[in-house]
Amino acid sequence: MRTLVALALVAGLAGLGVAGAVLFRPFDRTPTAVPPGDVALVNGAPILTNDFMIEVEAVEGQPFADVAPAVRARILHEMIDEELMVQRALALDLPEQDTGVRASLVGGVKALVTAPIQAEPPTDDELRAYYAAHRGHYGTKGSMTLTDLVLHVGGSGDAPQSVSQALADAAQAAYELRSGAALDTVEQHFGMADSGKVSGVEQDFAAKAHLGAKLYAVALTLGDGQVSEPIADADGVHLLVMQHRQAPIFTDYDAVRNNVYADYALARQTPAERANLRLLRRKADIVLAPGQSE
Amino acid sequence: MLALILCVGFGVMQLRRTWLQRSLLTTPVAEVASHRELVRFAVAQARPLFAHDCASCHGADMKGRISTGAPDLTDKNWLYGDGSVLQIERTILYGVRSGHKKTHDVTEMPAFGQRGQLDEAAIDNVVQYLLELNGRPHDAQAAALGTEVFNGASSCGDCHGPDARGNSDYGAPDLTINVWDYGGSPQALRDSIYYGRHGVMPAWSGKLTLGQIRALSIYVYAVSHG
Repeated sequence: MRTLVALALVAGLAGLGVAGAVLFRPFDRTPTAVPPGDVALVNGAPILTNDFMIEVEAVEGQPFADVAPAVRARILHEMIDEELMVQRALALDLPEQDTGVRASLVGGVKALVTAPIQAEPPTDDELRAYYAAHRGHYGTKGSMTLTDLVLHVGGSGDAPQSVSQALADAAQAAYELRSGAALDTVEQHFGMADSGKVSGVEQDFAAKAHLGAKLYAVALTLGDGQVSEPIADADGVHLLVMQHRQAPIFTDYDAVRNNVYADYALARQTPAERANLRLLRRKADIVLAPGQSE
Repeated sequence: MLALILCVGFGVMQLRRTWLQRSLLTTPVAEVASHRELVRFAVAQARPLFAHDCASCHGADMKGRISTGAPDLTDKNWLYGDGSVLQIERTILYGVRSGHKKTHDVTEMPAFGQRGQLDEAAIDNVVQYLLELNGRPHDAQAAALGTEVFNGASSCGDCHGPDARGNSDYGAPDLTINVWDYGGSPQALRDSIYYGRHGVMPAWSGKLTLGQIRALSIYVYAVSHG
């Protein structure tokens, strides 16, 4: 009986010992030990066995088991080299120094954020709506060659001139231009001058920027050889003489579906990227120097 | 006495569990599925994980969901890889089009209709060809035209292969075995060609432990291999 009790006690103590050892042992007593599932540790950074095996199969084009140990060793060597280089890049703070690295990191985050969005294909209605809203992107851009004559209010030399007088003079000038009078002659006769805002062939976007919205809106209504009605603007009364107008040609939706699809796919990523940035900003501690704004 | 026996039993169980957990990762991946005990252990560990993390897309029965294109995991047809534990693990680790740098993302099924690369008639002809390939009722004349489109204008064969048997490097499914992740009705086939497909699976690397991912891989392997 005593022997039995003694054996039971020994067994019990052994069991407690085993349980204690299992439950309370340090997770990784030897820092250099490679954890299961990894094939190597490089300064503590693991190289996954799965990554290694897939790399071997991809490089050699055959099952891992069929690849010679020396070849496997070479590939592991190369993977360790790569990991060392990556760690060196981080140590050198390449993300701070190298614009290419920064761009790659930014692209990586964007790819992660926008990946789920791509799973849902757009509907035809969405694509058509996008096309309608961005029709100007699909086709040739418009352009215009025109002269912008201006009659500065206040007269040009001899007498003070009111806006109404200037408008009347400009209307007469327009009449004469439409009747075939030469531009130079009209300029001299009415004291008008080329505003210099436009010259040569102007793309529509450039003409808009140069003329301003008010004059540009009138210019869009003119065809080849047409002369506008007088337009009162901040710097005087203008006459637009359109030498040549090339209206934009919008390409039909069906002809640019591929482009519309690609553009829409890109555009739909933007909200996700913005949402991600809002989240990052909420969590970030951003301090601006005095006098700075963003 | 009873307490002592329980302690011994508990200790042994913990030891065994630790050994099994470790063995999941230390056993060569090509051999792990042949260890019955390891497979049982992995399956027991993976079931609740699958229910929690995977079933919402692949279904609790693992049969997949047509609505999301999440594939059936109970058969032996694999979009990516050869269905080995290694390849299944790869897919779970890095996902499909997940945005992870190591994810499966060589290509995607283009939206041939929406992009204006095939008109409706051509798409319908390809659908008839697919029906023919799978021994289903079809319009033979349209199917003949569809064959030309398949191997010509649309270059379907570039990914699916000239014999339409698929290419698991690209995630291009076999089109001859009547297995359709997004549904096999003529309308569903037409939609796949018209709208394209861009299935996404998240990367679980960093969200699950390596041990959990290995257990899931063995589970999926075990289920698909009966």
